[in-house]
Amino acid sequence: MSVQKSWGELQKMHRACGIVVQTLEALARAAVPGVATKELDRIAREHIVKAGARPAFLGYRGYPATLCISVNEEVVHGIPGERKLKDGDVVGLDLGCVVDGFYGDAARTVGVGRVSDSARRLMKVTEESLRAGIEKCRPGNRVGDIGHAVQEVAEGQGFSVVREFVGHGIGTALHEDPQVPNYGPPGRRERLVPGMCLAIEPMVNVGGPDVRVLDDGWTAVTTDGSLSAHFELSVAIMPEGPWILSEPYPYAAKEARA
Amino acid sequence: MPEAALRVSGRVVEQLPNALYRVELTSAGRPHITAHAAGESGLLRLRPGDAVEVELSSYDPGRGRILGKGSE
Repeated sequence: MSVQKSWGELQKMHRACGIVVQTLEALARAAVPGVATKELDRIAREHIVKAGARPAFLGYRGYPATLCISVNEEVVHGIPGERKLKDGDVVGLDLGCVVDGFYGDAARTVGVGRVSDSARRLMKVTEESLRAGIEKCRPGNRVGDIGHAVQEVAEGQGFSVVREFVGHGIGTALHEDPQVPNYGPPGRRERLVPGMCLAIEPMVNVGGPDVRVLDDGWTAVTTDGSLSAHFELSVAIMPEGPWILSEPYPYAAKEARA
Repeated sequence: MPEAALRVSGRVVEQLPNALYRVELTSAGRPHITAHAAGESGLLRLRPGDAVEVELSSYDPGRGRILGKGSE
């Protein structure tokens, strides 16, 4: 059971998520052919520190960087290094930060230079599947409804959904209960209640759903070497419906609530 | 940053005493685990080769509970 956040706590989550998404915008502009992934990590770190936050991934279970950068067949958890981005690469950027003890977590996938039509379609469908999942974030629904919505969109377009990694609750820790898989039957798992915060993050492959983790202990790649995309947003469940925490409060402004 | 899933699918490789089973996880690169047939699944007769759904322990990566028969 995820902890229900107060209105004041949600404001802190909102700030953390805002910083993450602004940084991702800057990184998306900086991801051009020839730039080393290490350089993007440096930009991410500077941005976060300048905004008065702290990187969330650095040191998390020994993760060595601020940013997860996953190129082409890499699904998630790619470690920044000397690798230089090439024209046509599909680059997943995953970032988190901490403000006042509250975590923000978001990710997006961008194309470097000119990318193939299939890559563009993959990114579009992955983002659509994320939106479909967020649409299910309403009180009374269940965690399984989110995964089912994501799976319907992604598999409906002929892609596959990664099973081994899942979304998660978020708040005073990067990973809180419940786990939010991107697949499965609707109407199962935990019930959603107002004040819960979830990081929803579909990982979608062009080929099969299987992934394996490289010897560095982090980088996950598709077993068949096919392209993979990853989008993520942190969402609060409000009585009126979903609130994407990196965006302004979408409903009529209200005073403090539980 | 996504989290490693705790509920995963697997396949029984060996039956052990006391409703314990050796289970091979379907996900590539994961080792065999020892899983206890929990709840309703304790009543099932599981045989080597059966697909099962497993919940991994967050305390011990080598252990888990069998939630029920799997699909694939």
